[in-house]
This record gives sequence, C-alpha cells and structure tokens, in this order.
Amino acid sequence: MAIKVTINGKEYEGKHGETIRDVAKRNGIGIPVLCERAQIDPFGSCRICLVEQDKARYPVVACAAPVFDGIVVNTETELIKGLRKLDMELLFSNHFADCVAPCNLTCPAGIDIQGYVGLAANGEYPDAEKLIKQKVPFPGILGRVCPAPCQKECRRNLVDETVSIKFIKRFISDINFEKGTRYIPPVAPSSGKTVAIIGAGPAGMSCAYYLAQQGHQCTIIEKLPKAGGMTRYGIPDYRLPQKELDAEIAEIESLGVEFLYNTELGKDVTIDGLRRSFDAVFLAIGAHVSKSMGIPGEELDGVYQGIDFLREVKLGKKFDLGETVVVVGGGNTAIDAVRTSLRLGAKNCYIVYRRSRAEMPADPIEVHDAEEEGVQFHFLTNPVKIHGKKRMEAIESVRMELGEPDASGRRSPVVVKGSEFMIKADTIIMAIGQEPDVSCIGADCKVRTTKWSTFMINEETFQTDIPEVFAGGDAMRGPCTVVECIADGRNAATQIDRFLKGQELTPIPGVYSVQRGKSLKALKALEEEWKHRFPTEPRAEMPMLNPKKRIKSFVECEMGFTERELRRDAGRCLECGCFSQYDCELRQIGKAVGAEPTALKTKGEIRFESDLRHPFIMKDQNKCILCGACVRACDELHHVGAWGFVDRGYVTTVQPSFGVALQETDCEYCGTCVQN
Amino acid sequence: MKTLRVGYNSCGIAAGAEETLNKLHALLDGNSNFEIKKTGCNGMCYLEPIVDVIENGKIYTYGGLTSDKVEKFIESLEKGKHIDDWIILHPDHSTAQLSYQEKQVKLATKNIGVIDPENIDDYIAAAGYQALEKVLKTMNRQQVIDQVRASGLRGRGGAGFSCGMKWQFAKDAPGEEKYMICNGDEGDPGAFMDRSTLEGDPHGVIEGMTIGAYAVGAQVGFFYVRAEYPLAVKRLRLAIKQAEAKGYSGKNILGTGFNFSLHVIEGAGAFVCGEETALIASIEGKRGMPRTRPPFPATHGIWGKPTNNNNVETYANIPYIIREGGAAFSKYGTDMSKGTKVFALAGKIKRGGMIEVPMGITINEIVNDIGGGIINDGKCKAVQMGGPSGGCIPAHLHDTPIDYEKIMATGAIVGSGGMVFMDQGTCMVDIARYFLSFTVEESCGKCTFCRVGTKRMLEILERITAGEGTEEDIPLLQKLCDSIIKGSLCGLGQTAPNPVLTTLRYFRDEYEAHIREKKCPAKKCKALITYRVVADKCTGCTLCARTCPVGAASGERKQVHQIDDLKCTRCGFCKDACKFDAIVVE
Repeated sequence: MAIKVTINGKEYEGKHGETIRDVAKRNGIGIPVLCERAQIDPFGSCRICLVEQDKARYPVVACAAPVFDGIVVNTETELIKGLRKLDMELLFSNHFADCVAPCNLTCPAGIDIQGYVGLAANGEYPDAEKLIKQKVPFPGILGRVCPAPCQKECRRNLVDETVSIKFIKRFISDINFEKGTRYIPPVAPSSGKTVAIIGAGPAGMSCAYYLAQQGHQCTIIEKLPKAGGMTRYGIPDYRLPQKELDAEIAEIESLGVEFLYNTELGKDVTIDGLRRSFDAVFLAIGAHVSKSMGIPGEELDGVYQGIDFLREVKLGKKFDLGETVVVVGGGNTAIDAVRTSLRLGAKNCYIVYRRSRAEMPADPIEVHDAEEEGVQFHFLTNPVKIHGKKRMEAIESVRMELGEPDASGRRSPVVVKGSEFMIKADTIIMAIGQEPDVSCIGADCKVRTTKWSTFMINEETFQTDIPEVFAGGDAMRGPCTVVECIADGRNAATQIDRFLKGQELTPIPGVYSVQRGKSLKALKALEEEWKHRFPTEPRAEMPMLNPKKRIKSFVECEMGFTERELRRDAGRCLECGCFSQYDCELRQIGKAVGAEPTALKTKGEIRFESDLRHPFIMKDQNKCILCGACVRACDELHHVGAWGFVDRGYVTTVQPSFGVALQETDCEYCGTCVQN
Repeated sequence: MKTLRVGYNSCGIAAGAEETLNKLHALLDGNSNFEIKKTGCNGMCYLEPIVDVIENGKIYTYGGLTSDKVEKFIESLEKGKHIDDWIILHPDHSTAQLSYQEKQVKLATKNIGVIDPENIDDYIAAAGYQALEKVLKTMNRQQVIDQVRASGLRGRGGAGFSCGMKWQFAKDAPGEEKYMICNGDEGDPGAFMDRSTLEGDPHGVIEGMTIGAYAVGAQVGFFYVRAEYPLAVKRLRLAIKQAEAKGYSGKNILGTGFNFSLHVIEGAGAFVCGEETALIASIEGKRGMPRTRPPFPATHGIWGKPTNNNNVETYANIPYIIREGGAAFSKYGTDMSKGTKVFALAGKIKRGGMIEVPMGITINEIVNDIGGGIINDGKCKAVQMGGPSGGCIPAHLHDTPIDYEKIMATGAIVGSGGMVFMDQGTCMVDIARYFLSFTVEESCGKCTFCRVGTKRMLEILERITAGEGTEEDIPLLQKLCDSIIKGSLCGLGQTAPNPVLTTLRYFRDEYEAHIREKKCPAKKCKALITYRVVADKCTGCTLCARTCPVGAASGERKQVHQIDDLKCTRCGFCKDACKFDAIVVE
C-alpha cells in the first residue's frame, strides 16, 4: 500500500519498509551519504544524511529512518546545512592526512609537484612537462631561478633532505628540449577578442600563454628590446642562460602571441588608446625602479643602483668598476650584482648589510655560491655617506646592532653610536629594493595606485577600477618571486577569459585539502618515527662549475642532473598527497556542503602507523572515518568477521581483534572490505 | 537476646565492616545472647561501619563502629548499657543525625539496611513476594499495567518515560517470545543507587521485574550489571537461585504456569552500555554500540524480539505499587513526577550517602537538612545532577523542587540520581572539562558528532583551563554543543554537552575570567595560579620546604621562605602543611 511522503514541500509515494533515503533517491532528491552501503544494514554513524522529520525531536538519519504515512521531511534546512558542514569539519579535523601534498599546497602557482615528480621518476618527461604547464609555462626558467618554497615544506625534510623539486623541473625542461619532445598546448579557434598585455615579464607572458590557448589574440607591449622582464634583465646569465629563456619565450610566440618591443606605455601607447583598440588590458609592468638610499654622495661617479646595473650589463653597457666593489643590501638582487661584478673583473667584492646573516632575504644557496666565489660579507653595517671628488673613493659606514622585532618579525637594526668608519672602494652598488614605475599610466588614468606605488586591484577579480583593465605581478604586489608573478598571470588570464566571454568573475578557489600538520614545523614530533620508517637517502648534489673558473665568465654555474641522479632523487618523494584525491567521497561531500577542511583546530591528533602486514590489504587508520563499512561487509556479507572495532571513545579504531595481523584471522582475502 | 545487624554493602566493607564483623564473630560466636546478621546499607554511608543493635523491638544504630571499637562496644552491651556517644539513631530520642532520615520516604529502598540480602526468608518476612503472588493469582496482565500507569511511575534510569506506557508497548508488540531487561549498568560518576539496591535488596528488584515480565508476557529476563559490582552480582545470583528454589522464579512460578527465567550478564564497564540499544547489543554478544532508532526495543529488542528495559530502581518500586496500589505511590510527589526518588549524595557534602525522598523536595532541603550542608561549613556553589548527561544547577536555583520537568528547565536532568555537590573552591570550567573528558573516553566511537565533537570540545576546555583560551572559544563551544545535541546518534552524545551548556549558562563569568584575565576565580586551574609565601606570617618553620615534593619551597630556619614558581607543580601540599596560613594562592 502506498503511503504519502512529503519531502521539501513536495508529495511523493513511498512504501512501508522504505527509508527516507530510498524515497528521496528514487525521486532524485540528493542527500549526501558516507556510511550507507547498498547491501548492508544501515549504520548511521557518519551523520551526513541527517534530515529534519517533523515528528522527531532531533534530526534523523535518512539512511535508516523509515517512512510512514504523512511523514514530512526537509533535507535542506539551515539546521541541516549547518550540521552537515560541521560534521565534515569534525571528520576532517580528525583526518591525519594530506589530500594534496604540502609541496603542491605551498607552491604559489599550485603546480602538481607530486604528480610531475612521480612522472619524472618513471621517465615520463613529456607528460611531466605537460602537467607542469597546466600551471606554469616556464619549467626551464623556474627550474633554475625559483626560490622553491615547496622544498622548505617537503616532508622528506623530516627523514633527511628535501626532494630536489626545482632541479627535477629543470631536468624535465632540458631533456624535452634536447629530445624535441616539448609540450606545446593546443590553441582554441579564434574568439575574435584581443588583449593588450603591458610587459613581457613572467606575469605578462604567462597571462598571454593561457589566454592564447582560449583563442584570444594577445599582444605584448614591451619597453625593452627583448622579452623576459626581470628574468632577462634582472637575473644574470650564469643563473639563467639567455638561450633557455629565448627557447621558452619562443614557445609563447608559437601560440600566436605578438610581441611589440621598444614600445613604452605612457610614451608610445596609452591606456585609453589601448582600451579603444583591445577588448582587455593586462598591466604587468614589473618593478624596475631602484629605491634610493638617500645618502650624501649618491651623485658621484661609480655609484650605481642594483637593478639598473644588472639591466645595463645585459644591454651591453661597459662598466669600469675598478678593483673594489661594495654592494649594499641583503636580497637576491644584491647577490646578483656582486657576483656580476666579480665576473666583470672586480678583484675585491663585498656585501654590506645592515642586519645579520639570519635576516638576509636572499636565497641561502645564492649566498653560499657567492661566498664560494670569494665574496666577503659585512653584516650589521650601514653606509651613511659616500666620499669622493668626481668618482667615489670611500664609504663612511656605521655599525649596527639588532633591536626589537619590527612588523615583519625581523629584528630591526639600530645604529651603534660613535661607530663610524670608512671603507675604501671604487664602486658602490645599492641594491636595497625596487618598486614599479606607475607614472606610466598617466596622471588622469582611473587606475588607482597604492602608497607602495603599485596598482590597486580587486584581489578576487584582478580588475583595476577600470573593469577591462587588469593588473598583476610585481606591478601589483611589489617585488616578488617569478613563480608568484606566473601565478598572477595565469589567474588574471582566467578572469580576463571570463570577462571576454561575459561570464561572472567569481573568486578563483583555493586548493581543497585536509592537512596532516599545517607546516613542517608542526610535524617536528614525527621526525624520529619517520627517520625510522623511511630509509635515509640523501639528496643528490647539483654538479657545479668550479668557483675559480666560473667567475671568469657568465656561463651557467649549475650543470644539471644526469638522468640517473634525476631518477633517484625523484624516487625519494614520499607521495604525501592522497591516492584517492580525485575520487574521494569525503572530499567531494566536504566541498559540496561548504566545509572548511582546516576549520577546527586540534591539539595532538591521533596518529597511526599504516598497517602494511597483509600482502594485499593495506589499512591507513589515519584516514578512517569509522563508517564501519569494511567491518559490516566482512561480517554481514561474508560472515567472516575478520575486522572489528577496537577500543572506544575518541581512540576507537578498526582492526582485527587483539591487534593480530589480518592474515592471522579468518580473512579469506576476498577484498570485500576494500571494495566497501 | 540482642540482634546485631552489620551494614555489609560495598560502602560498609570499604569503611571496615568486614573487620568489624570478624571481630564481632570472634567475640560472640557461641554466645547465645547475641545474634549477628548482615544487612545492606541504610544510606548513611558517611558513618560506616554501621551496626544496629536490636533489642526488645527497639533499634539502636551505631555509626563509625570500626573494629577497634568493637570490644568496648560489646563490653558495654553485655553490661546492658549503650554508648550513647556512638549512637547515631536512637529509638527513644532525637539525635543529630536523625535529620538525615526524617525527610526521607522509603518505598523502593525500605528493606535496604534492614533485611539480610542473602536470605530470602528475611525478604519474605518483610512482605516479600506478596506482590508477585497477588499479580499471578488475582490480576490479569492489563490490570497490572493499569496499576503501574495509575501510580504515575516514570523510568528512574534518567529519561523519565512512563513505566506503564513502556510496559503497554511491550505487551502490545506482536510476538510470543519477549524479553525483560534490568539495566544495572550504573555509570555516572558519583552515582551508586543501583549498586546499593542490588546489594541490599536483590529480591525486591527480582520481584518487580518478574511482575513486569508477567505484564508484558516475557519469558526470559536479563540483569545487566557492571562487572565492577562483584558483590551486587554475587548477591543477585544467590537471590535468583533462592527464588527459583522457593518457586518465585523459573518454571511454573507459584504453581500458576507462568515461566520466567533470569540471567545475570556482567557488563565490561562501558558507560555507553547503559544506553538500551547498546546494552541489547552487548547482551547479544556484540560490541556495545547503540544503533539508530526506530525500530525501538519494545518491538525489536534482544534478537529482534520485543523487549522491555527498566532501571533497577524502577523495578524496585513495583512491589510497593502492587501491594499498596498505584494511588498509594502517587500520593507522593508532584503533578507530573510521582512517588519517590533515590539519590546518591557525593562531592563536597557533609553527609554522603544514599537517600530516598519524595519527588517535589527542594535541592536546598537535600543539601541542608539531609546532607547537613557543605563540608568545612562552606557555601554550596552548585550541584551536578544527572552525571555526564546532566548539568550543574547553581545555588541560587536550589529552591527548585525535584521534578523531571522543573529540573530539566534548569538545563540539568533528574537522571538516575547522582548528585555531586560543589563548594566555592570548585572551578566550574574545570568541572565541565572533567565531565567532557569522561564522555570523550566513554563515547562508543560510532558517530562523528559524539566521537570527534566531544574531543574538540574537550580540547577547547583544556585550552581555557590552561589559560590559552580565546574569545572565539565560547561561541565555538556553543556551536559544538548545539550540533552534538542535535546530530548525535544516541542519548550519550545528545546529552554530553549538558555540563558545558549549564556551566556556560550559569557561570559564564568564570569562563570569561579564564579567557580574558587568565585567572581561575576558584583558584583551581594550575596553569593560572601561583603559590606565594606571605612574609609577615611566615615564621621560618621549614615545614613547607620539607613537605614540598619537588623542592620548590625553600628557606633557612627562622627566615622567610620562598616558593620557586618555575619548580612549583601547584600540588598545594605546602599550603595544607603551613600552620600559620602563610601560603596563599593567587
């Protein structure tokens, strides 16, 4: 006999013995389920299928609650949505695992690092490059110059050292060039839309790369004679040879992107002019203006600004640096300037930095390489005046000491009174920072700028105050890394593409992932256990040119891995990201109910070692949600009962009784538990 | 001829009743002037060992009669004299302890502390099994249920569901094979009513349950008793054997053709097995884990058969109701809560023990009149009723009459009868943390909200008591409480947040003091207090330095001492040791 069931205000027919879920399912009403299994009795542990039933005091589980005549059910009330969201957040808070590997989560461009490292380990280099290029167009550039924040979070650090993520990327790039197996993405038929991109740096070219694939005609307008931006004019050849750069830029061109060189915004073209000729504009002018120290004597000969110096060297200008060069600053530009000076023939090269080594923002590898080449460092020293007649002769400096931490968390330097002293030098290069030159947009342009002299945008859409004008990269953030600029270029391309297609510019979602410890630091306690669990296998060293030889020229210092080194290093990856991340029900439901994977803080998660004793059946209790499907299937479908719940309360686990290995139970190796 | 009746429940034995009894036997065996008997606990646990002297129909109750006093006691009795100072209840005049008994009405517990629980004849002499006989020989099944419904008896396990209705459901459930369960899986911290009842009057419970079995049509009954109650299990098994021998249990009871066999199942100590579906699973030999309801046990209980489940105290009330009629029972109590209720008094109360009081009595009457107030003449701050499922009722609401609905309105529940009293030195955040830690361990681990939710709540409470709480913690606690109540599978989870909710409701200022000022107003939370020596008061006696187990207190003789805050573990030994009140907690 049919009975009347009302769900979400609509009447349906049900039968005695059916559950709410049965009726809902038959009528296409979606109720999320986790612990429900078709052939096994309802369990009701996961609570995700909770619905409101008007006769019940509290919500009921749809998978088990029977329907009766006149039942009124609501599946999407605010209460239910709140409960489902919290339910998932509780499960996630107890899920000691990473959906997505920490390296991938750390990468500003979100590259699937675990994926390409795995492909490289198997020798599948073209596929590896293709995977990288889903997120960044320049594996060769990044493989050489990226500061690789991913490697700092690499969980292999707990065992020995990081996987050489950056060098692996470089190898993939190089070998595909060598073998002619580079990946060039297909380009969609022309959309008829045009985009002007100002600046042929990493942000601008990345934007073009992804827009071109969507069929939009991109024109990159570049002030300088060649493309590359900071990667060409800020990074010396010994770190990034021009031929590598040219090769990757050529790939951008091959997608039909047009480059207009020696064309300057504000002089040759204007924003309003571009707006008339193009459907959208992307401002990616970089940050090429040096910040001045503002000390007396800066007008003397032999005084240079770091970034200008590097650019002019690239442009072929000859310098007479003399014997002694002092570079002021602690960042990568300072290191690049000092190592370039060495290569231009200077005998004594110094870095002068007002804080100590620990506070230097430069990549420690760069600092190490510079030291190998004979650069000397003077810490806690700050120039106050440059002495000389026409050309500079000496730098008056003071000693500093570290005081209280400032807003950035670094201890700020304080002058030691009466500590003035002189440094004799022929050249001083000041590399204390850069900023964009935003004046190029013209005084009456509606694009707003910040007090840091950067373009102001809507951070979700990348739009400036003019809807069709977007901005990104150094010009929007201030000086940052190549990989961050590439990420900006790609994300801006996504939004520009939507804009050109007339779609809504919704925020670009972050990666949805639970995390096994928020940072490497938070996992420090695991170090001993991991050292024990994984055999130590130190990282392969990057073969380097001899320091004495390399300062004689601008030849690339790092020689690259051999394939053997590469395969071995890629094999060291611990594969933190989950095998099931693409088809995980938990993750899908979590997303669907709007649960925040790391919303609930926990202290002292329960951690379990994976049980690998059985020849075929592996169990990772860290990911178990105690739905009991395996226990129930083994018991109810096969009447074996090899699995059971052990202990109670928060520490409940699924195991065979008395902690014996599964193969020592009545397990028939049928795999039903795994399937369920 | 004098009868000496020794209180011989677990509480008495713990206080030394065994030694007292042995001494009595050593002195009196073979002495025809004395008869020695064992009985249960009269409820005055705080004065055990207790020995009643019965002579000429008068009962003189001696308290605190440890074995070292026995010789003098017997010497005096042999001279025909009593030692008045040791008598706590006197047949001829009032005593200071009389107020403990005066306001009590004993219906369910009337035999406890009176009869010998190991002797069925004692029970029969006290009108035992009369009710069963009346039922089997003069009443039909519906009449029994009608009497119970008329009494207004509600389930004493905590939820307070009408006992008569429950029986009716089980009676009306289709099927020939039916079961009875007596839930003796008492697990609330501070509760010991079921233990004392099963130890002191097992036949009373057997009789009540057998009457229920007749009413619902059950053939088999299970006592589910925690294995931690060995004496209760032992006496229950003995009582069943004796009842079977006398024809009150087993096959063809009292020759009426009614069969009802009883079994004792020992629970392994999981709190959740007090939940009926978990209890049933446990009886069936499965993991004690609740399942979703419906179907309810009344139709799908043990092995899928109709099953009726009541608490020990509920059954213990039945013989009285049948003997005297439902109306006699319902003349006690309030409109909605009839009869009496047994409570276990524990915590910072002067007189800890078991009492049976009419429903409607106020908490104040229990604390002050029966319980004699708070220890050290302190002020009562709150009472926790209903164990981990209940809540803390603050002192200003202690004029609330005890009644299922009125107690529920405060946020607590009557529960099974545990009352834990707290004085001003109790930190309410710490209490909430304690009860949560209990639930986190005792959750069966099945459903997400209870298993993980309570743990997350506990972590927040631990943060707060450690002085690491933040402003967001209180709203987050509220959200978790609300969701765990509404989202959990069984009663354990649905009530687990109650201690937190009630303390948040009545003692929010204490939470805020921990979070905002990093202060524990009750000076209890170790992370938030320091011990300091008051220089003016310190005489340099060195006692604190000698007492301190970690060497934090130090100083030269006759010099003012110091406490090293970094070494100090806040154990408080120094403060307790100091004779000059020279150590303060700040």
